[in-house]
Amino acid sequence: MSLAALIAILLGLSLTAYAIFAGADFGAGILDLFAGSRDADRTAIAATIGPVWEANHVWLIFSITILFSAFPAAFSALGTKLLAPLTVALLAIVLRSVALGLRASPGTTARARAMLSKLFGVASLIAPFLFGAVAGGLATVSSSRHLGAPLGPHVHWTGAFALVIGALAAALCAQLAASFVALRMVRSGEGRLAERFRLRGLQSGACVLLLSFAGPAVAAAAAPAVWHRLIGPALPIVIVGIGAAAMSLLAARRRRYLLARGASLLTGASVLGGWFVIQAPHLIGTRLTVHTAAATHPALVSMAIAGGIVLLLVLPAMYLLFAIFARPELEVIE
Amino acid sequence: MNADPLAAISHLTAGRSQIGTSLSFHLFFAVLGVGLPLMMLVAEGMHLRTGDPVWRALARRWSKVFAVLFAVGAASGTIISFELGLLFPRFMAYAGGIIGLPFSLEGAWFFLEAIFAGIYLYGWNRLSPRAHWLSGFPIAISAVASAFFIVTANAWMNVPRGFQIVHGRVTHVDPLAAMFNPAWATETSHMVFGAYLATAFGIASVYAVGMLRGRRDAYHRKAIALALSIAAILAPLQLAVGDLLGRTVANHQPATLAAIEGVTRTERGAGLNIGGFPLPGHNGDVLNVKVPHLLSLLAFDSPNAPVRGLNTFPKADRTPLAPYVRLAFIGMVGIGTGLVALGLWYWLRRRPGSNGPEGRPTLIALAAAGPAAFLANELGWLVTELGRQPWIVYGVFRTSSGITTAPGLGVTFTAFTLLYFGLTALTLWTVRRIAARPIEGLPAAALGAA
Repeated sequence: MSLAALIAILLGLSLTAYAIFAGADFGAGILDLFAGSRDADRTAIAATIGPVWEANHVWLIFSITILFSAFPAAFSALGTKLLAPLTVALLAIVLRSVALGLRASPGTTARARAMLSKLFGVASLIAPFLFGAVAGGLATVSSSRHLGAPLGPHVHWTGAFALVIGALAAALCAQLAASFVALRMVRSGEGRLAERFRLRGLQSGACVLLLSFAGPAVAAAAAPAVWHRLIGPALPIVIVGIGAAAMSLLAARRRRYLLARGASLLTGASVLGGWFVIQAPHLIGTRLTVHTAAATHPALVSMAIAGGIVLLLVLPAMYLLFAIFARPELEVIE
Repeated sequence: MNADPLAAISHLTAGRSQIGTSLSFHLFFAVLGVGLPLMMLVAEGMHLRTGDPVWRALARRWSKVFAVLFAVGAASGTIISFELGLLFPRFMAYAGGIIGLPFSLEGAWFFLEAIFAGIYLYGWNRLSPRAHWLSGFPIAISAVASAFFIVTANAWMNVPRGFQIVHGRVTHVDPLAAMFNPAWATETSHMVFGAYLATAFGIASVYAVGMLRGRRDAYHRKAIALALSIAAILAPLQLAVGDLLGRTVANHQPATLAAIEGVTRTERGAGLNIGGFPLPGHNGDVLNVKVPHLLSLLAFDSPNAPVRGLNTFPKADRTPLAPYVRLAFIGMVGIGTGLVALGLWYWLRRRPGSNGPEGRPTLIALAAAGPAAFLANELGWLVTELGRQPWIVYGVFRTSSGITTAPGLGVTFTAFTLLYFGLTALTLWTVRRIAARPIEGLPAAALGAA
């Protein structure tokens, strides 16, 4: 395997980690939006993501640095072609982080908290939707096997397939969040809250399952190149993903919380994996590939070393973080 | 691609203004993200050593402020990593493969900072006091490390090394040579010291205001003493590092040096301009005191060395903002000198075993020192960034060649500027709410005159 391919895999893993862990944080915001006036729900959500969401978010920064260091031409094309949706997604990420950070700080009045909650919720819905739509749009313009396409194609992130993928991303985030919060509530002995988030998990999980059939169906009609890859090389991952989505619903129904969470994490990873297989080795369009967009060899070597350092330092620290806060007690918010 | 030159200029100006606004905003939070962990660690360590609850109260209060500022800082940092690609994609296509290494190492250290910030901020009641204190060390260390790596990338923009251009393509890339370019050591230490100093004077400033309002208790005194201990050690060091950085600029960015020092015509045995405000129509001589030969001596270690004047550079290769560069530089150095004097004054007037000087003038000076120290950091970045223009990579790549071809920068600039105003207001409001709360877990006796 070439070095560029190895780093592309590292990028894929980093994006997947971002999608499923930060995705759960986005989902927490979506659930918060639907929590109405139930403050107990909000406290449960905040206690679950409080210590971890900042760290989860860094996967995005790390992915971006890999992308622009190892594949600078692709980063450049993405930034130019997707200025509008990425700027809006960026604003949403910033607003939700800030709203969450400020809401958690002591001394905030009830009215301000309500306003910050709304901001947190709406922005948390917009960001994964746009990221999903961008991914769907990229898959559409990058999955074709025909050569001779323009170097920087227009990315149809508002096409039918892209919008369905956006919706799938948002639903998946909500399901992930529900499974994390439900498991934590069960472990804290908060049966009533666990039930409520189990219900949220079932609702969002049903949407996920529906959309994971709708996605390929729309692709068959509107994005034939994607459809051919879906039923071709990506088929095993599609089957795993749909199986995991069904399994997660079933497990939530039977109150097998740990299994439900594991299955929804697997669903998320499969969606990302499927996306990568659909458009590999293309990064954006069909002319910028993992190889044609790659930086020079020494730059790739330095990226591989930096990636190794991250795996050695960050993963154990991340484990420590999750282990410390996996203890089943509700955080007292001062 | 754009027939109307005015539109092209405003496109570039909008893009530059947007990234400039973003960096100035982020700098404020980044500085505190580097500085506050050290303050929290020292205060919590003092608590473990002395058992004095005042120290613990200070550490907890600062950690709450840190939580808010870290969230905003992480968000504004994300904005910048996106903006590099959204606003300057052609620059990133060119430079990404050369300075990707420091960017990804910065990412790795920021990762550790975020992870341990989660443990530290939420772990007060979950970890033993010693374990909790220890969990703060990785935050302080990784904050400095990430500042270090990101500034090496900026140092490369000032003194580019570690690559060749063959037929317009980047080749022979040596990422280590790019990262450890001639400016890395001086620029990174100047930034880290600057961050510590701004945080220290910022804290001193907040508590000096408290004392001016009559809250003269151990809580306020200890905070000021801690902050000024750190400041008094670092301020003179910062002055020395600043001098070394000046030599780096002199050796590698002659056009920048000329703009910084207000040297218009080439001079042999150049004098150092002190003052010399560049007001319109005055040719840079307003309130100027010229110390003969000093600039040549400081910059090139020889009293008669020639210093090239700004006018000798082709118009296209010198910064169009020279007067602002000079003003920013005067401001930074002036504030820095004042802060050194203030630190010395505080410790000279402090008698062993008693409080430092608490007269109204001292407290007012301390209150002003915090904002001034932050201003000095911002001015320092203005000197670096405006002084390097018209280059994005000095002597190699022009800023105008790096800007995006996508339209609509006027809209995004407006949106982000509004966002920053909103964020600043929200943050200030929240920090004020934190400060207004009673100090928890602190008996009145502990607050008595200590």
